[in-house]
Amino acid sequence: MRYVITTKPNQTKSMRLPVFLCFLFFSILSLAQYQALALDETLTKNANAVLRLDQMEIEIHSKKEMVVKNKQVITVLNRLGNRHARTALGYDSSKKIKAIEIIIYDKLGNQIEKIKKKDFTDVSAVDGFSLYLDYRQLYYDYTPISYPYTLEFNYEYITPDTGSIPSWYFLGGFMKSVEKSRYSIYYANSALKPIIHEKNLESIRFEKKETGSSIVYTAENIGAIKQERLSPTFGKIAPRLMTKINNFHYKGYDGTIESWSAMGTWIDEKLLAGRDELNEATILEVKDLTSGIEDDLEKAKKIYKYVQDNTRYISVQIGIGGLQPISAIEVDRVKYGDCKGLSNYTKALLKAVGVDSYYAVVQAGADKVDFEEDFADLAQGNHVILTIPHKGTYYWIDCTSQVLPFGYIGSFTDDRKVLIVKPEGGELVRTTSYVDDDNYQHIGASYVIDSEGGIAGNATIKTKGVRYYQHFRLNQDPKEDVIKHYKNQWNNINNLKVSEYSLNDDKAEVTFSETVSLNATNYASLSGNRILFTVNAFNNNDFVPDRYRNRKLPFEIQRGFLDTDEFTIELPKEYSIEAMPKERQIETEFGSYEVAYTYVPENNTVKYSRSLLVKKGYYPKEKYSDYRDFRKETARLDDAQIVLVKNQ
Amino acid sequence: MIRLKITVFCLVFSATSFVLGQDFKFGKVSKEELTENVYPQDSSAVASVLYRHQSVRFSYTQGVGFKLLTDVHERVKIYSKDGFDYATVSQLLYKNGSDAESISGLKAYTYNLENGKIEKSKMEKSAVFKTSRSKYRNEEKFTLPNVKEGSVLEYHYQITSPFYSSVDEIDLQYDIPIKKLEIAVEIPEYFVFKPLMKGYLPISPKLGTKAGRINYTSKNRSNRYSAATNFDAQTIEYKINTTHYDIANVPALKEEPYVNDMDNYRSAVKYELQYIQFPQEARESYSTTWEDVIKKIYESDSFGGQLKSGRYFQEDLEKLMAATTTESELIAAIFLHVQGRMNWNSIYGYGVDKGVKTAYKERSGNIADINLILTSMLQEAGLNANPVLVSTRDHGVPMFPTREGFNYVVTAVELEGGTVLLDATNKYTKPNLLPTRALNWFGKMIKKDGTAKTLNLIPKKVSRESTNVSVVLKANGDIEGKARKSYTDYDSYAFRNRYAAADEEDYLEKLENRNNGMEISDYAIKNKKTVGKPVMESFTFNLESQANIIGDKMYFSPMFYMAMTENPFKLEDRNYPIDFTYPWQEKFVMNIKLPEGYQLTSKPENMNMALVNKMGSFKYQIVENGSGLQVMVDLKINEAVISANYYADLKELFKNVVEKQTEKLVLSKTSSDGTADSSGKSR
Repeated sequence: MRYVITTKPNQTKSMRLPVFLCFLFFSILSLAQYQALALDETLTKNANAVLRLDQMEIEIHSKKEMVVKNKQVITVLNRLGNRHARTALGYDSSKKIKAIEIIIYDKLGNQIEKIKKKDFTDVSAVDGFSLYLDYRQLYYDYTPISYPYTLEFNYEYITPDTGSIPSWYFLGGFMKSVEKSRYSIYYANSALKPIIHEKNLESIRFEKKETGSSIVYTAENIGAIKQERLSPTFGKIAPRLMTKINNFHYKGYDGTIESWSAMGTWIDEKLLAGRDELNEATILEVKDLTSGIEDDLEKAKKIYKYVQDNTRYISVQIGIGGLQPISAIEVDRVKYGDCKGLSNYTKALLKAVGVDSYYAVVQAGADKVDFEEDFADLAQGNHVILTIPHKGTYYWIDCTSQVLPFGYIGSFTDDRKVLIVKPEGGELVRTTSYVDDDNYQHIGASYVIDSEGGIAGNATIKTKGVRYYQHFRLNQDPKEDVIKHYKNQWNNINNLKVSEYSLNDDKAEVTFSETVSLNATNYASLSGNRILFTVNAFNNNDFVPDRYRNRKLPFEIQRGFLDTDEFTIELPKEYSIEAMPKERQIETEFGSYEVAYTYVPENNTVKYSRSLLVKKGYYPKEKYSDYRDFRKETARLDDAQIVLVKNQ
Repeated sequence: MIRLKITVFCLVFSATSFVLGQDFKFGKVSKEELTENVYPQDSSAVASVLYRHQSVRFSYTQGVGFKLLTDVHERVKIYSKDGFDYATVSQLLYKNGSDAESISGLKAYTYNLENGKIEKSKMEKSAVFKTSRSKYRNEEKFTLPNVKEGSVLEYHYQITSPFYSSVDEIDLQYDIPIKKLEIAVEIPEYFVFKPLMKGYLPISPKLGTKAGRINYTSKNRSNRYSAATNFDAQTIEYKINTTHYDIANVPALKEEPYVNDMDNYRSAVKYELQYIQFPQEARESYSTTWEDVIKKIYESDSFGGQLKSGRYFQEDLEKLMAATTTESELIAAIFLHVQGRMNWNSIYGYGVDKGVKTAYKERSGNIADINLILTSMLQEAGLNANPVLVSTRDHGVPMFPTREGFNYVVTAVELEGGTVLLDATNKYTKPNLLPTRALNWFGKMIKKDGTAKTLNLIPKKVSRESTNVSVVLKANGDIEGKARKSYTDYDSYAFRNRYAAADEEDYLEKLENRNNGMEISDYAIKNKKTVGKPVMESFTFNLESQANIIGDKMYFSPMFYMAMTENPFKLEDRNYPIDFTYPWQEKFVMNIKLPEGYQLTSKPENMNMALVNKMGSFKYQIVENGSGLQVMVDLKINEAVISANYYADLKELFKNVVEKQTEKLVLSKTSSDGTADSSGKSR
């Protein structure tokens, strides 16, 4: 029941000692170390699994040789904890796995099974969208036979890619606690000394020890964090380390990068140089396309449209191809590429018509992630877009989309710090933001309530900002999907039938308009000689964030929005209003709400107007219940009903 | 050296099978095809298959044996950007040890119309990628160049397979429409396959025969006294059975909600090997009838062979037998023993993975490992227990006798009172309650003598969720109350699988938020893990604003937060059966105490409706009692699967459920003399 540390001959004398000490230390402890019956409650609270030991040893032997040893010992408390027990290791052609094994202990800490390298399954890694990746995975599926149990996962690999030193998370994710976490780096000489960037470490107690050839971080007894509604993503609050060396090697390339400026130069000189050539015919074609246009921005719009009309997105990632675009001439020939290839191609076309643009590396996703201002490394960023500087403004385009308007990037890459690659060096710049009332929706509607409780009417929806992003794809959808979309959007109206709709995508204004004619039986409920109906038929927002008995995390509204609604409601002739809700205004630091009702006797109609503004913001946990109260109240007001009574 | 070479003649189709004005020879893409901007019968199609020809045939090489060759020639039209995905083609290739399928002769072109001229772009080798996906699968993928809206793509390749006994299922319907599909299957008389059709397309294949010929050179001695060797050219003639499927205008298969598995409805043809018979050799039989399939499965080492010895569990079994007296106690004890001891490794199969002995020792295994241990123990204990072959819900319905039609096994015990079904691979099953994954039409029970019996697996017993609530409605519209809930059978099975391992506080938070943020206290749960009994929960709750107060009236649904507010059936019509997995009932009894100073003005009418053939029913009843009301609501679906013919009725039933459950009751403030100030009750 003792595990083996996979040892390797050490390169330098100075390194032998710490490694040996470490071996001894764990050998002694291992004797009854992994019993799972008497764990501290600070670790089991909110946890389905407890990481007993998470230990990584990184040895940087030279600019082109790094050895990584990892040991992860996890006690799984119940079925839900199984997914936290890591049993897979990814690799590619430059990463050689020297050892990999799994050891299983029962609840008393007795070893019951040992899985060797040959028992692992080797498969190609699949990311779900790439045509090809040269990335593979060794994995083993362990079936637990009782709980709790302890799984120890050990591996060791060697790689020349010191440009990607593993980073470190003291906590591996939500609902997972850690008994002991240890991250150590040994470096052969001072030129290889790593730079470590600490994030969110104030939330844990840790120890950092440095010698002339090593840096070691240790932390103990870190409790699990539970994910809560509207809480920031794990990456934003997790205590973690980012690590790099300034002189590195990556996939056959050497680099010296101390700053974002240097990173920009490296990308420009090593990865992009010479890749923007195009053949004469294509250059003539795009020159022809833009002839007579003086304004650079207008030219850029033409070129972007040309790229959107003629190319498609295909991802192929091999070696340095994970960072380097395929050449513009190749994209031009096959008319497809990934984000890098298509951005570089568009940049080349723009250059051919005399328009400057910059290649921009970004961390894409609905969640906004900034590049770290004072820490430049290759690990940040997962996407490439392009920016066109014009009269002091940056216009951003995503060349992988065939449908986005020029200068519009939606919620995929908005409002975050990205690296732009200028010939004179890299620079961090913030992309276009869409916040608060930028994300605008207006619904204008008129509808009739009949004496049977039916509803019939028309609604016009206009959307802008990220609201546009949520709607404009309807234009590509077949009719049955569009109708399904309306049935879901208005799921507060049962028996909904859409008789007609029209859509208009104004790409120049980035505004999407929809006009929908619809009807439904039994919308209003009849109760004796009364009719009750919810006035806000078309924008009934019932969102109330979950209640927590004890909220732990701050909350964040990343973008916010503004809705305005104006409805005219025609009442059935033989009925008059018995009760009508009152107007109401709410003003909070999170946003505001306003609703008003006016009866117009001339034509027996009610005019309804409503607006809801929710502002972007980051708030401490103490304010969560106030925000919840605000949304509870707006949800309640959105549900307000008019009562009609039959004229006697 | 003997060298056998088979000569294969290319198929020639009669000209009548061509759609007018189109030429399906490779490379003969027409302007008409390029200018077509929408699929005529379905404007929502993002792409279509203009033509696909797929031929399957055999070839023979001495020393290697038979190989299976599949030629694919496809022409695809791209209508819109959403159709670009169809410009990337993936072909999965099976492998086993050193045997592997391979692709050859791949060529692919994209055709575009540029200024009225057809332009052709060739796919380069750099656009082809080969990956090893798993131990048994390679994948070859390629993507065509220069694809735009309007492009026509064309490619051809051949798959060579050493696995000649297994012809892959041939799909006759895709997610995009097909204009013309030609399938040719040519099989030498030595191999007898049975074609099995599924799906809703009417298909009539043309059968025929043609001559096949093997020319080979053999070495022999002309007479026994001569040392000289002669080389003779020889010929073997044999018959090839041909089948042609010639289909036009196949609609796209479109997803519908609440369908068990769309692939069950996809039209396809499957070739199942029945037997192989070479001249002067014994017939090697594969499956033909259910009996043959079952016999073959039963005789295999990984199935029937696993039931032979019970030595490995003998000691445990003796203890179980000693501790029980009746037959039913013994069944329960053996079932609980296997269920408790064994752990499923998430691998399916009616054949064992590790073998029962190893699995028993290691306490984990696949479906067959576990349920064959169970069967074997029951048999050893003298009970009439047998394995039952099953196809899981996501594996499709086994409509034809094939070995691949099954992927799962459970156990049946025949008793005087009837048959008991058992599955020990889930911790929360019980006798006659199989995991939901196994509830797929029927299973085939295999007896020791190799005969089989069909067992219906669809549950008949109704699973119940009952809720009893006593509520006090306050004058401000808030409610407080006590609730008791119980879940039986599959409702308790589902509850336990989801929550039995969860942290209670975490579960309560979810429960609270699912019920509009109510506050729960005094929570208690009974039988959380006692599988034989219903799960019972009780709690006290508070919930804000459950009634609208407008003027001097209060309006509220007497179901409060429990009302079904949305009809799950939204589409106008439907083609495929509605699969509820098991029959179910939701029953509510609510006692509501009304606030002081208010009086009932009007209440929803009672309702009682039922579907034909007792497939389902809905009852709604309100009774006044003293200072309050009693509301009884009962929704019942008695059939696990309801045919699409009844979709409109079912939708109507749920429409009424939603309307009734959300209908409001009206209270009025009583004036100081105790009478309501609004005029009387209505209706």
